[in-house]
Amino acid sequence: MNNILSFEQVRVEASSAKDADFPILDSISFKLEQGESLGIVGGSGSGKSTLLRVAMGILARGLSLASGTVVTAGVDLLNVGPEMRQKMYGNKIALVPQSIGEALSPHRTIEGHFRDTLGSAASIEKMVDALVDSGLEGSKFLHRFPHQVSGGERQRILIALALVRSPELLLLDEPTSALDRDVAAEVLATISRLQEKRRFALICVSHDFEVVRRTCGQLAVMNNGRIVERGPTDHVLTKPTDSYTKALLDSIPKPNHRIRESHSIGSHSVISANKISVIRGTKNRVLDSVDFKVRQGEVVGVIGQSGSGKSTLLSVICGLVSPSSGSICNEDGFDLSIPLAKRPSNITSAIQLVFQNPDDSLNPKRTVQQSLSRYSGATVSQLIQVLESVELTSTFLSRYPSEMSGGEKQRVAIARALLTQPKILLLDEVTSALDVNIQAAVFQMLAKVQQSTKMAMVIVSHDLELVASFADRLVVLKDGRALEHGSSQLR
Amino acid sequence: MKFFPKDRAPSGKILAYCVLVFHGAIALLAPILHLTPTDEQDATTMLQGISFDHWLGTDGLGRDVFSRVLHGGRPSLVIALVATAIAAFIGVSLGSFAALAGGWIDEALSRLIDFLLAVPTLILLLLIASFFGQDPVVLSLTLGLMYAPPIARVSRASTQILLARDFVRVARLQGGNGRTILVSEILPNIWQVVFNEIAMQFTWIILAFSSLSFLGLGVTPPTPEWGLMIAEARSYMTINPVSVIAPICMLASLVLAVQALVDHE
Repeated sequence: MNNILSFEQVRVEASSAKDADFPILDSISFKLEQGESLGIVGGSGSGKSTLLRVAMGILARGLSLASGTVVTAGVDLLNVGPEMRQKMYGNKIALVPQSIGEALSPHRTIEGHFRDTLGSAASIEKMVDALVDSGLEGSKFLHRFPHQVSGGERQRILIALALVRSPELLLLDEPTSALDRDVAAEVLATISRLQEKRRFALICVSHDFEVVRRTCGQLAVMNNGRIVERGPTDHVLTKPTDSYTKALLDSIPKPNHRIRESHSIGSHSVISANKISVIRGTKNRVLDSVDFKVRQGEVVGVIGQSGSGKSTLLSVICGLVSPSSGSICNEDGFDLSIPLAKRPSNITSAIQLVFQNPDDSLNPKRTVQQSLSRYSGATVSQLIQVLESVELTSTFLSRYPSEMSGGEKQRVAIARALLTQPKILLLDEVTSALDVNIQAAVFQMLAKVQQSTKMAMVIVSHDLELVASFADRLVVLKDGRALEHGSSQLR
Repeated sequence: MKFFPKDRAPSGKILAYCVLVFHGAIALLAPILHLTPTDEQDATTMLQGISFDHWLGTDGLGRDVFSRVLHGGRPSLVIALVATAIAAFIGVSLGSFAALAGGWIDEALSRLIDFLLAVPTLILLLLIASFFGQDPVVLSLTLGLMYAPPIARVSRASTQILLARDFVRVARLQGGNGRTILVSEILPNIWQVVFNEIAMQFTWIILAFSSLSFLGLGVTPPTPEWGLMIAEARSYMTINPVSVIAPICMLASLVLAVQALVDHE
């Protein structure tokens, strides 16, 4: 067998002395032969992306190889010049990057991209063949620009571009993170079909076990820069031995498993919206005659694809966006269509929203204590209490956002919303930026908070299973319209 | 603003800091150093070259150029600092208020800023100086007003970017009003960008004031001021070139040092 990639006791450290005790990669050793496939799963910060870069001979600024050797397709890429590396890319190694939206130049047609990759060897036949191999109708796409193809098609085009020069090693970085579930499944099927046919070696990095299960024969689980467990994929998934692997597997939402048990729901509505529409520009209806009610103590899940109007609905409820038509009021009949600035403060603080992106929802120049107490005026003991309710300790009070992980930041953001003692808490994809195991922990924490405060919640997500395991009732939005209301148990 | 962030400050930055410290020190210390009085005239030593008694020679009235050059930055620096403070206050308040208010207020203030930017600064300064005389208060106020619009523009643009950030929206949902949001959420985050713009305007103000002095409308003789010194010395530049070169070097080094620091931020 032909050895394509080998890592031998690789240790990568951050150059600054402060981080010397926390290597980015530590004692990484593995070999990959022709036709083999290795999936790498781990939380954010576990070192999986660094590993992928090191395989390509790239070390990010501030990182250095402390020990070990990496040989990719017979070449020690970390110790050769940039010309040599450039020669290897495409020919011997190919990468499909994570952010498929940015990977193609918006000003070049698909054919142009192929010509860039192939150089003088370009021919229409080759391009069409590569596209057909990736499951696309080849000739139809050559003259299109990147914005004229869908996300799934773009991912297939990137795979076709990566494979057109028949590399020996294909590296995939989160190949489906930007795709809807059905499209993702098709793309993954294409990848494993191509791998079987072309016999290239494959490394697929993902935070999702499902992606790896469908594409890779071998699975390595990474945590804190180390490979904590490695073996045949099915074996690792069914009989994990490492505690971190077990925790990761346990945190995957299982069908028909409820994170939160329903309990008494009040009879009166805390929010009732009647035929609300939001129009952007001249006629773009972001929301179209949506009726929406939330009762006291009820958890409503709102699901829908991106662009379906989910976030806009939340913005209307909390007052950041005023509806173009329709009425919305709270339990006392107070009109909630008036702008935020004109509302009394008790009305404003009764509805709180937690945003999707934890990196953006805290002021980077303020400590947690400053962020939490600025508007609520809460005392230190109240702050500690609320931090404990989101399972953080008082040591976080003096931290800045840059000193916390995504999950911790999101907990602080939730704590801040809880401080005003809202009657209704709106959660906009609060866990989509977090790792699977942290997602589950945040939801369990939210379930406890809901249990003790009995507040109403509206939880928006594109992840049906997660929402269904948490909410009392589901609302599906499509193109700005509410399609169905139903009990989440009736799936 | 960190003084020496991360690994090592680039040597250009260290040099720029040294030049600034040098300028600050001589501006503060010039009066207490035992220098020849700046207005002491000596008809017997007119237009002399470099000598032990007069390190940079003498000017057309026999005054010591070295002493005058060291004192010459004081009026410019004082006026420029006051005018920059005025420009910063007007610019930051106007710009961030326009962005926060939005709607027609934003529109109106933006047009006002555009209008002020379109007024030719030097001509207006000449007009005001010839009208009100060389009053330092009037000059500082005018310079402050004339150099506020670029700061207002930068403040407005950076505030607008921040207004779309989630933590600012959360502040609104938590009941923060315009003033508290401006002070706690926006200013700390736009300060670095705005400060750089303010520093740039500081250099333009120094140059504008020296230009006024050069034209005879800044300070009144015999006050030593670089712009005025250049104007007085240019008629005998061929006899004692140092008397022109020295104030030019001082002016240029000050402006370059500030701009180099802004570039390194």
